[in-house]
Amino acid sequence: MSPVPLTPAVFHILLALTDGPLHGYAIMQAVEASSGTPMGPGTIYGTLERLEASGFVKELPAARSDRRRTFALQPAGRAALQDEARRLSRLATLVRAKRLVPRES
Amino acid sequence: MREHHLSRAAYRLFVRAYPREFRERFAPDLEADFLEMRRTRGAAYAWRRALGDLFYALPLTTSDATAERGRTARIRGPITPPGEPFMRSLLLDLRHGFRALVKAPAFTLVTILTLALGIGANSAIFTLVNATLVRPLGFQDPERLMLVYEAIPGSGRDRFGVSPADYVDLVQYQQSVSNLGAYRTTTVELSGGGEPEQIDAAVITASLFNVLGVKAAEGRTFFAEEDQGQASVAIISHSLAMRRFAGRAAVGSTVAIDRQPFTVVGVMPAGFEFPRRGASSNATPADVWMPLVFTPSERQGRGANYNLSVIGRLREGTPPAQAAAELSALASRIRDNYPADLPLKVNIGAMPLREELLGDVRRPLLILSGAVALVLLVTCANVANLILSRSLARQRDIGVRAALGAGRLRLFQVLLGEALILAAFGGALGLVLGYLGLRAIPAVLTTSLPGVSTISLDWRVLAFTSVIALGSAALFALVPLYAGLRRDLHDLLREGSTRATGGRRQHRVQGTLVVTSVAFAFILLVCAGLFVRSFRNLVTVASGVGTNNVLSAQVRLPLAGYTDPTRTRSFYRTLEERLRALPGVRAASIASDLPLEPDGDRRAWTAENPTGPGMKQAVAVTWIQGDFFGSYGIPLITGRHFSDDEQRENRNVAIVSKRLAEAYWPGENGLGKRLKWGLKAASPAPWLTVIGVAGDVVDGPPGSEPVIHVYVPYASATNALLTSPIVDLGRRMVIGIRGDQDAVTFTPAVRGIVAELDPALALSDVQTIAQLERDRSAPQRFSAVAISGFGLGALLLAAVGLYGVLALSVSQRRREIAVRLALGAPPSGVLRLTVREGMTLVTIGLAVGAIGAASATRLLRATLFETSVYDPLTFAIVPVVLFSVALAASYVPARRAAAVDPIVALRE
Repeated sequence: MSPVPLTPAVFHILLALTDGPLHGYAIMQAVEASSGTPMGPGTIYGTLERLEASGFVKELPAARSDRRRTFALQPAGRAALQDEARRLSRLATLVRAKRLVPRES
Repeated sequence: MREHHLSRAAYRLFVRAYPREFRERFAPDLEADFLEMRRTRGAAYAWRRALGDLFYALPLTTSDATAERGRTARIRGPITPPGEPFMRSLLLDLRHGFRALVKAPAFTLVTILTLALGIGANSAIFTLVNATLVRPLGFQDPERLMLVYEAIPGSGRDRFGVSPADYVDLVQYQQSVSNLGAYRTTTVELSGGGEPEQIDAAVITASLFNVLGVKAAEGRTFFAEEDQGQASVAIISHSLAMRRFAGRAAVGSTVAIDRQPFTVVGVMPAGFEFPRRGASSNATPADVWMPLVFTPSERQGRGANYNLSVIGRLREGTPPAQAAAELSALASRIRDNYPADLPLKVNIGAMPLREELLGDVRRPLLILSGAVALVLLVTCANVANLILSRSLARQRDIGVRAALGAGRLRLFQVLLGEALILAAFGGALGLVLGYLGLRAIPAVLTTSLPGVSTISLDWRVLAFTSVIALGSAALFALVPLYAGLRRDLHDLLREGSTRATGGRRQHRVQGTLVVTSVAFAFILLVCAGLFVRSFRNLVTVASGVGTNNVLSAQVRLPLAGYTDPTRTRSFYRTLEERLRALPGVRAASIASDLPLEPDGDRRAWTAENPTGPGMKQAVAVTWIQGDFFGSYGIPLITGRHFSDDEQRENRNVAIVSKRLAEAYWPGENGLGKRLKWGLKAASPAPWLTVIGVAGDVVDGPPGSEPVIHVYVPYASATNALLTSPIVDLGRRMVIGIRGDQDAVTFTPAVRGIVAELDPALALSDVQTIAQLERDRSAPQRFSAVAISGFGLGALLLAAVGLYGVLALSVSQRRREIAVRLALGAPPSGVLRLTVREGMTLVTIGLAVGAIGAASATRLLRATLFETSVYDPLTFAIVPVVLFSVALAASYVPARRAAAVDPIVALRE
């Protein structure tokens, strides 16, 4: 079964979590940096909740010093991200083959 | 800090838009993120993000997972019956309501007009308030901007501008503000490429626009070094760029300012207004900004030229009071730099810029807002009354629906349909009325209020109007529901619709509403009466100047063309001679400032051997040439005018105002007394001998105390004054002409004479003194007219309300009246009965209104001019007027009652 393409929000959030567990605001900043467009906290938490239901991420028990919720990437999430990355890279090759973007020299 | 709490509270409210389950889990995180974002990117950005985010996030957060958890957590019943979603039923109700309203055109029209009146008046005044008090100043973080000023105790003025030398010290010493900027306004001659014109200008330090946090729309603002040397660069306003360059590139081009070439380096954005109106000095918005370069003498000169407006930007987190305290502590260091023979006790003060700009206009605007809010209350009372009357017709409808099992919410929805239509039409018409009303505000007023020159419909006004309209709609829907559900269902269904009466409860409610309207109308009329009285008192105070057939105009000689003081003197002498020779001219003069306007020069001075207590204030000095007193109709009380010799060369003579003479040499006529400039009799200035005493002139806002005044011949103006690059006092002169006929007719002749003498000169501020006098009292006139308008509107509404209630009562009691008449009651008795019913309501309203007015008018005390807040005339006339109008309003339905034909009525 070929993997289902991830939505941009899901992709960027999973991508943000590859370097380790983060809280919402840090994810938001990372997503803005990687996608180039801002994404609001409601979207982030809404997506995280869905990802949690699918077992892609998990909320870590809260540290006492910080009342913010922290999320960590789960193996299923990492796998989905890798599938998506492979898909994107295949697409990139295809796009180059059609000469839609100038070849990097 | 309070703003932050507000913003946090607002966000908590906003978070409620998310589904409960989501909220319960993530609200603290959302809030923390929001606060973080606001701290790093600003509140506006954070809110934009939050709103956009909600749009994307809502579908996500109501995901199956969330909903599932929700269902297990808590079971909720459906809000509307299945198959009938809220929106669809609302549309149905709207259609239903529309049909019902079309069937009752009189009710619909009166209600919409009443609403439009209330909403119109409110949106007009709110637009004014919004433009002046609410809308940001157009500067970055304006709450951190402070006005820095100097004060000299005992000088007779609260505060001065900062002198250049003190400003230089201040910049060096202070640490409380991150940056300081200074400016002063002037007018300049703009020529080259088109007609020469006089335009308003400001010279500013290079730092100023950085302090304000404003940027040029095209090009740039000044570089730091540009106020150090003679950089001939200028920034121009958007409107000047449009006018002078009409689409061509302004940046990089050269303009002639006062006959010197200047390179335009920047164009400010459209709508940028600086200096802002409303400040106590330097308050004319400029069209061109040039670097403020201090001359060496300015840098050294202590105790003079307190004319810079200085603005500082507080460091983040520094409270204004702390900055003000720190700045005032620097005063002693600055005082140490003053020469020993000039022991001026200068102090440094600072106040929030907003306070300085809006302090004076806040109170009148708030009073207007209060008045207009009363109008809105009267409107609401009246509309509620109308709806109540109408709800009689709907009671059966409501009863049937309730009997068939409609819940209260559903019934409310039905009524809301009709109310929404009324509110929408009323609100839209009100907005139109409000804008027509704003147009009627005289231009002189809008140009004197800060920020109002750019009045526009913005979202705040729209939001304000919508909230009023929707709020009233909800209210109107609730009123009949309340009235309907209270009644016994059985009764309702049994009664024939034509005989439906409101019952005692509804009568009492309607009576209360009439009483309320009358009481509010009474308060408004009393306020209106007080304002009109105050305005009359104000305009009848003699300004000391004759207003008949006097024309004034300003001429300003640019230094570049007039470096030789002899040339300047001969220019004005010739000008005055030619003006005097014009046919039909009775008196002509040239003066360094216009009477009635507080823009003259103030000087420290000393009287020789004063026998009176004196005034301890700086004296206003005017240099005059020609028949100054004749041209402005200022009486010469004793002594004589300057002779031809004295007008030709300096003979050290002066004419003083009556007030000055009486304060310093009481009981004597003042002639032959001497005075000199400077604070000490030992100063090197020559003694001036008083040869005449002139009448006092109110040299400031109308109703203010006249300032003490000294008039000296223009011939005594020193060469230094005439060639000063800092002030153009001796080169900017005002022409005054009194003629036989309407003074405006002299305008072309005056222009001709000036053009003959120097074709490049432009005449500015051409106006008649009569116009100037009217303009001066325009704000008070506006308040009086506006509040009178509101009062009359409220009176009309109260009368309509009273009429409506009585008419309804008469039509409901037709049978009762018919029975009375049939049993032999005289028609006049029936008439009296109805009138008495109306008058009882009015009398109660008057009593309540009198109590309200007595406390409300106390708030007006500070704005009234020589008028008691318990002005007997006002408090006597208003009840009589109200009573008469109410009598007329009751008489019409009473006549109808008396004219009831018992035979017809009893057969119905």
